[in-house]
Amino acid sequence: MREELKEYCFDWMLYSTMNIGKKLKNSTQNEINTMYRYLPYFKGIIQPILQEGETGHLFLRMISEYLENIIYAHDRGKKRAMSTFCFSPAIFYAMDVVPVTLELLTVLMTVNWRRGTSEYLDYACEIGFTETSCSSQRGSLGAYLAGVGQPIDFIVCDSPGVCDTNANSFAFTSAYLDIPMYQINYPPTLTDERAAKYHTQDFKGLIAFIEKQTENTLKEDKLQEVLEELKIQDEMIMELEEYQRLVPNPFPAIYNLFLYAGRFFFAGHTTFTAILKAMLKKVEQNASQKKSGLSKGDEKIRALFCYIDHYTTHVRFWQWLDNKGISHIGNILSRFWSDNMPYVKGMENSSYSIQTDSLENMIHSIAQANSRMPMVRSIRGPYDRPGMWLEETLSLAKIYKADCIIYNGTPGCRNTWGMVKLLARDTEKMGFPTHIMYADAFDDRVESWEATSDRLDEFFSVRGLY
Amino acid sequence: MMEIFYEAATNIENSFIKEWKQKGKPIVGYTCTYVPAELIYAAGLLPYRLRGIEAQSADIGDAYFGPYICTLPKCILQLVGEKKYHFLDGTIITPGCDSIRRLDECWRAAGRDIPSIVPDFFFHYAVPHKYTDYSLEFFIDETHRLKSELEKHFNLTISEEKLRSAIKAYNTGRSLLQQLQQHRISGNPSINGVDSMAVNLSSTVMPRDLFNQELSKLLDNLSQSRDNNLSSRKRLCIVGSANDDIELIRLIEQSGFFVVSDNVCYGPRQENYYVNEKEDPIVALSKYHLSYSACPRMVGDYKNRFHQLLELIQASRVDGVLLQNIRFCDLHGSENAVLERDLEKFGIPCMRLEREYGPLVETGRIKMRLDAFIERIKHTQKEQV
Repeated sequence: MREELKEYCFDWMLYSTMNIGKKLKNSTQNEINTMYRYLPYFKGIIQPILQEGETGHLFLRMISEYLENIIYAHDRGKKRAMSTFCFSPAIFYAMDVVPVTLELLTVLMTVNWRRGTSEYLDYACEIGFTETSCSSQRGSLGAYLAGVGQPIDFIVCDSPGVCDTNANSFAFTSAYLDIPMYQINYPPTLTDERAAKYHTQDFKGLIAFIEKQTENTLKEDKLQEVLEELKIQDEMIMELEEYQRLVPNPFPAIYNLFLYAGRFFFAGHTTFTAILKAMLKKVEQNASQKKSGLSKGDEKIRALFCYIDHYTTHVRFWQWLDNKGISHIGNILSRFWSDNMPYVKGMENSSYSIQTDSLENMIHSIAQANSRMPMVRSIRGPYDRPGMWLEETLSLAKIYKADCIIYNGTPGCRNTWGMVKLLARDTEKMGFPTHIMYADAFDDRVESWEATSDRLDEFFSVRGLY
Repeated sequence: MMEIFYEAATNIENSFIKEWKQKGKPIVGYTCTYVPAELIYAAGLLPYRLRGIEAQSADIGDAYFGPYICTLPKCILQLVGEKKYHFLDGTIITPGCDSIRRLDECWRAAGRDIPSIVPDFFFHYAVPHKYTDYSLEFFIDETHRLKSELEKHFNLTISEEKLRSAIKAYNTGRSLLQQLQQHRISGNPSINGVDSMAVNLSSTVMPRDLFNQELSKLLDNLSQSRDNNLSSRKRLCIVGSANDDIELIRLIEQSGFFVVSDNVCYGPRQENYYVNEKEDPIVALSKYHLSYSACPRMVGDYKNRFHQLLELIQASRVDGVLLQNIRFCDLHGSENAVLERDLEKFGIPCMRLEREYGPLVETGRIKMRLDAFIERIKHTQKEQV
């Protein structure tokens, strides 16, 4: 890593940027335009978000709040927990802990800075972390390993048994920085009784660990408050999901990003509820006018992303989809599997429900909800087993009337690269043209966005989807 | 004396397999040390640790696995596709690591294209990634499930008596392997790393009672001999990704090292402890196999592993440590970095090496790295003097 980069605090840089973005809400257009002139790269990320009106403003406010929490955690007497996207932060909010979710910070840096997280990615390798590891964690992890992020108090991850490279990032950090860690691990099955029991027992162990680290006891009323908010959020997400089934899809292209990012940032927190409310307002409006959410109003293709999106600089991925008339009908990250979701039909026992009538039920509920988080739910066992990746993908493709299925991940994803060829073969057989992207969602140096978008273009053309 | 072990260690379908099959007895392959081979053996079946040696290409492996996957499971799948594992009557796949656990679906998918390569008994054995009271409870249940499925499929009964007898046989083997280790690490070594590895590999594919008999004979022989050639070489410990390739060890020893100890899968590291023979056998087996934390798949147990390794290194009085990993093995690759940092603090020279599994296409590169490492060790030792 360049010495001069070590002069800058990683999360503070992100906070400063997003905080400015948040404040632009009250600026005149003239002031905003002036600001853009001085911050050419900043414009690429802020402008498309601000264009989304109230939802965009709230989204920027949410990110700023999240980063502010990280920066000031210790000043406010709170502990910071390094964690992962597939672990719901709800329990952290219930226990007054500040989550530092690596993948979210990696994405923020990747979309904000021209070179993305390349220096931090490389720094992690400089100290011995494998270059074949997943870039989603490594991007921001490099900063924390270099000591240019806020100090971390403890680590919580829930990927052992599901994703080695994810789990390994946290194990490496724990060993390298000598930070206490708790790992939730998942059995290869989801729906049997012993898996449910294991989830709950493991989660109880987690609560005990957090209590030890924070010297605070879990408060029943606080947990109830968070879970009640989560229920409200799940209801609103359910409505949004129903709207996504419409043809044309009334979702603006970037709304799926807002949806899952919000859930990852602030599950069970009112900040995310406010965004969902604004999203619903816009989507309801489009739906009542039978209007596509795409800017040109013409939906040519409905694409299901069976894994994750592409986080190249700015939000060019969603802008590209929007320009091409491609409706993004969700990905593995945007599905959380509460029992009211439309896509649960036929896979009822894959879902979770929230009960808040007793502490025991609440812990059981949050443990089951956590076990249904993206990736850890459906990529835990063999892909073709009931409730797993194939069944989920086909079910979503049918319910949301997908014209095609697209896989995108990172070369670090040992887990999906071990079976994606098989999945693609099966989905093709079921009549869904399927494209495997060989890019790295978090590192444009592996394949430039220009090359990636050309390949996508080629896929849509060759398969006659345009 | 060593021919028997080389026969078992260097041939997928060795003479013991043929002999076993001629008696009409089934063979069950498995992918990982977390599988209780004792349970399979107690059923009168031959437990066979799956390996990737003899793979000359990876075209079949590459057809099902994606590009960013470790070459070990790809080579196993290659051999499966080429029907070199035609003798298997069953297979047990574990979530040892992501690459190995995806062998489950890749093998079954290949079976849709290549007839009769998927054994009728195909079992996914769920092994938790930590050792707690509830993970042990889960694992005991899983081991019961495996027992019951073996009994059902092969139409047999695994009695407690048979289980205890199998555990005893395996414990005897462990004791003998530990004696072998003592011959290797002693000040007057009587067996080199290549031969030791042949013995260790044999333990994973030979009928245990026969293996024990042969190893006892070898040990008698070793106690009366000494290999003077070994004493002058630099003593090396190998750590990291799985290795079942004798040629890699031969290459290292040809470079002037004596591989005095190792902490790799297929090596003796899982044979250092005993299964409790007094406890309920399923509980004892589950405890034994789940508490084995030498593999970084047991996430978050680095300190324990480091101390175990340090003990091994100190006991075997090594001059250096080779921390190797197969490309895309992030678990070992990353842990090797922390091990290097922490071992060097103790003044133990370390070298990290990333390699491919399979035929040694990288011989020249590896040899050059080893030459540089031995030079470093010699230079350091000279300075210390």
